[in-house]
Amino acid sequence: MSDETANPLLELVGIRAGYGTIDVLHGVDLRVMPGQVYALLGPNGAGKTTTLGVASGQIQPHAGSVLLDGHEVNGVSPDRLARAGVCLIPEGRGIFPNLTVAENLRMSTYAGVSYKQVQERAFAQFPRLQERRNQMAGTLSGGEQQMLAMSRALSTDPAILMLDELSMGLAPIIVEELYEQVASLAEAGLSILIVEQFAQAVLGVANEAAIMLHGRIQRTGPPAEIAEELTAAYLGMS
Amino acid sequence: MIFGVRHSVAVATTLGTLAAVIIAVFTWKGAQVTSETFLVTTYIGLFLGALWAMYATGLVVVYTTTGVFNFAQGAIGVFAAFFYWELHVNRGWHSILALFVVVGLFAPALGVVLDIVIMRRLRTASLVVQLMVTVAIMVLLLSVVGDIWEADTARRVPYLFGINNGIDLGPSQLPWHRLIVFVVAIAIAVAMRYLLRRTRIGTAMRAVVDNRELAALNGARPNVVSSTSWALGSMLGALGGILIAPELGLDPATLNNVVIIAFAAAAFGALKNLPMAVIGAMLIGLLRAHTVAWLDFGSDFRFAHLSIAPLLLLFVVIALPQARLEVGRLVHHLRRHERFTKWWEGLIGCGVIILLAVAFSGGWLDFGIWDPGAWGSRELNSANEAMALALIGLSLVPLIGWAGQINFAPLAFAGFGAFVYLKVIDGGWVTFLGLDRLGLDPQDIRDIDNGYWILLVGLLCAPLGALVALPAARLRGLYLALMTMAFAQAMSLIFFPNPWVMPIIGTGRQFPHIELFGVTFDDRRGFFLLLMCVFAVVVYALVLLRRSRYGRRWMAINDSQAAAATLGVPVVWTKVVVYALSAVIAGIAGVFWATVSGNVDSVQGFDLLIGFNIVLLVAAAGVSIPVAGIFLIFIPLFTGLGHRLEDSGNVDFLVTLLDIMTTYGPGMLVLGMVFNPRGAIFEMGRGFSPILPWRSDARAEIAAENAQKREPEIGELGIERPFTPEEVIAIDRRLGILDEVVPKEGYGTARS
Repeated sequence: MSDETANPLLELVGIRAGYGTIDVLHGVDLRVMPGQVYALLGPNGAGKTTTLGVASGQIQPHAGSVLLDGHEVNGVSPDRLARAGVCLIPEGRGIFPNLTVAENLRMSTYAGVSYKQVQERAFAQFPRLQERRNQMAGTLSGGEQQMLAMSRALSTDPAILMLDELSMGLAPIIVEELYEQVASLAEAGLSILIVEQFAQAVLGVANEAAIMLHGRIQRTGPPAEIAEELTAAYLGMS
Repeated sequence: MIFGVRHSVAVATTLGTLAAVIIAVFTWKGAQVTSETFLVTTYIGLFLGALWAMYATGLVVVYTTTGVFNFAQGAIGVFAAFFYWELHVNRGWHSILALFVVVGLFAPALGVVLDIVIMRRLRTASLVVQLMVTVAIMVLLLSVVGDIWEADTARRVPYLFGINNGIDLGPSQLPWHRLIVFVVAIAIAVAMRYLLRRTRIGTAMRAVVDNRELAALNGARPNVVSSTSWALGSMLGALGGILIAPELGLDPATLNNVVIIAFAAAAFGALKNLPMAVIGAMLIGLLRAHTVAWLDFGSDFRFAHLSIAPLLLLFVVIALPQARLEVGRLVHHLRRHERFTKWWEGLIGCGVIILLAVAFSGGWLDFGIWDPGAWGSRELNSANEAMALALIGLSLVPLIGWAGQINFAPLAFAGFGAFVYLKVIDGGWVTFLGLDRLGLDPQDIRDIDNGYWILLVGLLCAPLGALVALPAARLRGLYLALMTMAFAQAMSLIFFPNPWVMPIIGTGRQFPHIELFGVTFDDRRGFFLLLMCVFAVVVYALVLLRRSRYGRRWMAINDSQAAAATLGVPVVWTKVVVYALSAVIAGIAGVFWATVSGNVDSVQGFDLLIGFNIVLLVAAAGVSIPVAGIFLIFIPLFTGLGHRLEDSGNVDFLVTLLDIMTTYGPGMLVLGMVFNPRGAIFEMGRGFSPILPWRSDARAEIAAENAQKREPEIGELGIERPFTPEEVIAIDRRLGILDEVVPKEGYGTARS
C-alpha cells in the first residue's frame, strides 16, 4: 500500500505513445512509490514494453509526461536517464553477445559504480559468471545471459529498476533464482517496476499490481486481488 | 580437426605452401643467399609489413567499432598524404605542425562528419548499400584529390628526419623514418588493442556495434561513441597514408591500392583480431620482400610479386572459418513493391531502344548541337564505350540485384571474354584439338563471320563464373565482396598483363571489327546500332528470366538462404547458375568492350577502380532493374557532350558542369542510396508515373501512401473526444460508403 503523502518515484501521466503514426498507449497513468514493487501485467501486445520504453526515455510520448522523483524528464535521452539511475533490463537477454562477460560488466560502470565494485558484486551474486568472465556473452546459456543482464541491476545501485519479461524463455528453476534476487533487492528498499506476461512468480514479490489491456491500465490493486482478475482479463472479460 | 585446426584450413595451408615452393623452385633467380642479404631483405619485409599493419589496424578498428567495413580507409590516407604534402612541402610548414593539423585536427573532423552525414543513416541499411557507399566515398575522395592536386606536378613527401640519417646495417642503412614507422606501427597496434579491450570507451565502441539501444540503457552515449570510433579510424588512416607516402610516392591510385594489402592482413585476423592482422601484414611484407629479392617471374608475369596480397586474401577468405560475422547486426528489409515487367512491355521497351538507336545511327533526328546524330568520331567512341560498359553492367543485374551476390569483378569476367574471343576467332584451336586431321583448317574458322562466335565465347565464360561461384557458395556479404575483389585484382596482375592473353597495344587493332550477316561493323555509327541491339536483347532476356523459376529462386536465396533451402531450392546450384549467367553476359559484353577501340590496355584497362565504378553506377541506378545498366552511359556520354561543346566553342560553364558531373556524378549518385536504397531508376519510375500510362501500380501506391498520411488516426472512436468531420470522412472511407454518404456538419460533434 502506497503512502499518499509521499512523492512517487516514477510517475506517468496521460501517456500516449507508439511507433510511427500508430499509437500503442492511449493514456497511461502509473505511479511507482519509493520502495514499491509494482507489477505491470497483461497479455502480448498490451503495451507493457512500450510503457517501459517511455519510462526509460527510449520512446518519446506523443502526449503526457514522465516524472522522475517529481521532475519532468520528457525528452531526456535514455543514456542520461541511465546515468541518473534508471536501470532497465530489456526483454530477451540484455547483453552484448560479442563482448566477454567482464566487458559486459565494464559497460555497467556508466552509472557511477567502479569497475572493481561492479565485478565484486556481480560475482558475489552469481559465482557462475566469475567462472566465465572471459567467455563471450553470446555463448552463455540463456539463464546465464539473464544473470549477466540482471547483474547490472544488482551492482549499480539504481534509483529505480525496470524489468521486462524477466522470466521469458527460461527454465522455472532459473526464474525462481532470479526472482529471489529481485526479492532481496526489494527488501533492501529498491523501487522496482516489473513487466510480466505470466504472473505467478512476480505476484509473490510485488506489493502493487496492475493489469494492462489495449494500451491502458485497466485496474490497479493489491497483487492478490489482481491475480484473481487476471484470467478474466486475459480472456477479454474484464 | 587436426591439432585443433579445421581440415579445410590445414588442407588449404598445405596446398598453398606446396604451390609456393614449386613456384619458388621454378622462378629461382640463382642469386647467392648470404646471411647479410637475407637479413637486409628481412628488415625490408618487416618494414613493409609495419606500413601495412598500420593500415590494417585502422581497418580492424573501424570494423570492430562501427560494424562497417570501410573501403575508403585507404582513400582517407591518400587525401591525408596530399594534404600533408600541401602544408609541409608546398607551404613550408614544419613537419610536426603539419602532421598535427592533418592527423590531429583534419582527420578526426572528417571522421565525425562522415559519421553524422552518412554512416548514421547506414546503420540499418543492407550490406550491399553499406559497401557501395564506402566504395563511393573512396571514389569521391580520390576524385577530390585528383581535382585539387592535379597530376601534372611531381610531388614527393620527404622522409621524417631525411633519408640519409639512420642506423648503419652494413650493406645498407636503416633510415630513422623506417625505424620510426616500425615502432609507431607496433605501438599503435598495441595501443588500439589496449583501448578496445581494456578501457571503457573501447568496450563501449564495440558494445554499440552489438546493441546500440542496450548501450544507451547502460548509460553510454551511442552517437558520441560512434563518432569517436570514426574519428579514431580516420586518424589511423591518415597517419598510415602520411607515413607510407614517402615510400610509394604521391600517386592516388598506387597509394589507394595499398588498402588491398591491408584487407588481406585484416582478413588474417577475421577482420576483428588486431594481433592476427598485424602478423598477417608482417607475413605479407616478408613474402613480398623475399619474393622480390630471390625470385624472377619473367616479363610475362612481371606483376606477380604484387599479387601476393590479393592471392593471400583469396586464400584466407576461402579457408578461414566464418564465425560470428553476422551476429548482432539488425538489417531492416525494405518494403518491396516489386512489379514484374510483362513480356510484352519488355518487348515494347526493347523495341523503343532499338528504334532510338536506328534513328540515332541514321542521323534522322535533328537537335542542332545536342543532336547525337551529328556527332563526330570522338563522341561516338565515347558513346560506344558507354554502351559496352552498360552491357558489362547488365551482368551484375541477376547477380547482385536479384541473387544478392556482391561481385567486384565484372571487368575480370569481361576481360576473360575478350581473351576467349581472340583465341576462338584465331582458329589455332583447330590444330590444337587435332581437328585439322578431320579436314578442318584454321583458315576456315577465320573465314566465318567472327560475330557468330560471340555466343560460343559467352558459353565458354560460363565455367569461369561457376568456378568463382564454388568458393562463393559458402561466403556471404562482406567476405564475398572481398573474395571477388581479390579475384579481380589477382586476374589483373597475373592473367591479363601476360602478352599471350592480352596482346600488347601495337599500331593496329588487335581485336578485329565485328562481322555479322556478311556486314562488317567497322563504322562507329553502325557499331553503336549493333551495341544498342545487343543491349536490348540482353535486357529482354533478363526481363524474361526474372519472371522464370530461376528468377524466383535468386530472389529467394537473396532474402533467406535457409528458408530457400528448406523449401527445396538447391542453394549451391542456384548460385552456380547465376554466376555462370553473369559470366556469360559479362564475357559477351567483354568482346564488344574490347572491340570498341580494338585494343585493351592490359595493365590500366583492368584497374580495380574501373570495376568499382561499374558496380557503383549500376547499384546507384537500381541494380535489380535490367535497364539500370544504361546508367553507365552517363560518364562517357557527358564526356562526349563535353568534347562536342568544346569543339563548337561553347560556354565554359557547361563544359565545367559536365566535367564535374563526370568526375563526381557516380559517387554522388551512390551516396544518394543512403536516402533511397532502391536506386535512381526506381525513384524516377515512381516520379514519372503520373505521366506514364502503364504505371498505374505506382500511382496507386503513391495515392495509398498519401491517403495514409492524410487520414487522421481514428484511435479512440469518439470515446475520449468527439469526432471531427474529417474523421467521419475517414471512417466512411474505410467502410467504403464515402460516395453515398455526404458528411453532415456537426454529425457526432459537440458544437461549440
